Amino acid sequence: MSERKSLYQILFEPKTIDAVAPGSKVVSYLILGLWTFICLFPLYWLAVTSLKLPIHVADGPNYLPGIDFKPSLHAWKYIFVDLGNDTLRPYLNTVLVSLASSVIAVLVGSMGGYALSRISYSPKLGSVLLFILIMILMIVMIVRFGVPWQLAIASGLALFLVLVSTVGRRFRRALHNNDIAFFMISQRILPPVAVVIPIYVLFQNFGLLDTHGALVITYVAVNLPIVVWLMRDFFDTIPVDLEESAALDGASRYRIFFTIVLPLSKPGLAATFLLVLILSWNEYLLALFLSTADAQTLPLLIAAQNATRGPQWWYMSVLIIIMIAPVIAIALVLQRFITRGLLIGAVKG
Amino acid sequence: MRVRLNNITKRFGDVVAVNQLSLESHQGELLVLLGPSGCGKTTALRLIAGLETVDEGDIYIGKRRVNEVLPKYRDVAMVFQSYALYPHMTVAQNIGYPLKLRGVRDEERQGAILKTARQVRLEGLLDRYPKQLSGGQQQRVALARAIVRRPQVFLMDEPLSNLDAKLRGQMRAELKHLQQELGVTTIYVTHDQIEAMTLASRVAIMNQGVLQQVDTPKNIYNNPTNLFVAGFIGSPTMNLLHGELGDGDFVMKGCRIEKVGDGSRKDVILGVRPEDMKIVSAGTSHIEAILYSVELTGDQTIVTAKLGDDNVTVREDKEYDGTIDQPVKIRVDESKVFLFDASTGNRIRFAHNPE
Repeated sequence: MSERKSLYQILFEPKTIDAVAPGSKVVSYLILGLWTFICLFPLYWLAVTSLKLPIHVADGPNYLPGIDFKPSLHAWKYIFVDLGNDTLRPYLNTVLVSLASSVIAVLVGSMGGYALSRISYSPKLGSVLLFILIMILMIVMIVRFGVPWQLAIASGLALFLVLVSTVGRRFRRALHNNDIAFFMISQRILPPVAVVIPIYVLFQNFGLLDTHGALVITYVAVNLPIVVWLMRDFFDTIPVDLEESAALDGASRYRIFFTIVLPLSKPGLAATFLLVLILSWNEYLLALFLSTADAQTLPLLIAAQNATRGPQWWYMSVLIIIMIAPVIAIALVLQRFITRGLLIGAVKG
Repeated sequence: MRVRLNNITKRFGDVVAVNQLSLESHQGELLVLLGPSGCGKTTALRLIAGLETVDEGDIYIGKRRVNEVLPKYRDVAMVFQSYALYPHMTVAQNIGYPLKLRGVRDEERQGAILKTARQVRLEGLLDRYPKQLSGGQQQRVALARAIVRRPQVFLMDEPLSNLDAKLRGQMRAELKHLQQELGVTTIYVTHDQIEAMTLASRVAIMNQGVLQQVDTPKNIYNNPTNLFVAGFIGSPTMNLLHGELGDGDFVMKGCRIEKVGDGSRKDVILGVRPEDMKIVSAGTSHIEAILYSVELTGDQTIVTAKLGDDNVTVREDKEYDGTIDQPVKIRVDESKVFLFDASTGNRIRFAHNPE
């Protein structure tokens, strides 16, 4: 006799396809087919639009090349031949900037996440506030009273050290790992647009506007909190026993991180990498401020097709297709790593 | 190499996990730390390994004080309860990992891996991954990884507790053989008294972070130093009867045993093992109780009788037969009883006490 199943189990428990009655199988496939159609149709529309002449786009919704309209490669020719380098350069910029920033963010962020997962920190709240106070003091001194910045930093640092080692002993309230992690993710709660002007001024002063460096630095900074947060969660699932065992076997902390922890974190690394790659690949606002010509990225180029002559859907379609193609390819490659069960056989009991 | 703990204390917040522990292992022996869960035995082991740092006291490995030495420089190897195999490495890579970290050359390493694998009978499985192995095989890989580099000291944290009963018995024998063959000082943590008694050169019993007794398994069993050790070791457990001592005789309601001690004192606990008692129909007897249950385990019969609110357990041979709720008379081997102070739990020793 089979057990009584709850409504939830009846509705949502996964079954093999053989266990489904033929009638509901048909219904299932119909629903799934419909949903697939809804998801993929915009992509199809893009492809079709890229083959249309402007006049056919204006004709309204028709989707069958060769029947509704005569397909043409004029948009493709314009993007690749007429624009030529003006397409290629933003394309390479996008690839370079997003890959570099994602690799750096994942590498640095996973180290941060690992530290937050394994080492317990407890900076005193008073010391943190003191540090912030002295920073403000230093900035006021430099900006308002014209104190040389070297002198201000040196004296500020000295003051901080003296105060922490004397008054600091009496601080009681301490921050912990969760507070630090929350502080990091809170940097992401603020929308980037809120800080885009200071960032612009900063890079202007450094003379880095319209360079790859500016974009990479900014994207790393923006994506780091996400990486730290995700990877910390992932590292928490790796048994500490493994690392202790490696430590006794004679491995240093870095060795443990690179030869034990990272290989076991491939699924997390792949998923996180993909996420931040897509975020920086599609990023528009910061790129708009920080790049003008040399470092321009694809999203800007696409937006530019909607400029003086109104929206040129045919060109945009071509650009969007070539923009999403590599991301889809990378996602397919990385999907191999995003699997469960990597930790099976590690620990027992 | 000898391990010496000198008054070590470890606290976690307000909890004292290890309290003033002093212990010294002999060269090449298998010293078992035994105690109920939460008694601090695993913490003591982790302190020796360097995975935790001591709050007070000193740890010596050989002549070297290692309090501040990192685990990797202590030259100890540990087998974890969970085995802690690296799941992304093959068996050979797992075993070879400690050697690789020490920069042992490739050919030499392969030789060592093969030799060690043969010692633990894994030679056919070197290319497998941990998840493709059975529990016993995984356990052997963990063991092989510990012995491959010939450390000064082996540390084992309940290495057999995740195996099923049959395999555990088999691995226990293999482990004992291997330890004697290698002759490396081993400190072994377990909560299983059978494991402790069978494996150990000496057993150290701990309770609530405090060392209770260190001795050979035989002495621990025959000469417990306090109530805790007496009650912890032995299965079925020792009978502990609460009564008083009057002029050398132990007296409680339904029980009188003459000449077990000297003098008079209140609040004593008499301990006697189930095998040192016998149910008799005639002749001298010391206890009169009501038969409560009779359990045949195969080679013996465990008989429980009610003496007031207390249970008295007697180990009888397999032929014993009795009727429940009938009064029975029990004779005690007077030369094999122990007396404990009920308030402190300490043994009360007398001139003629058993050794």
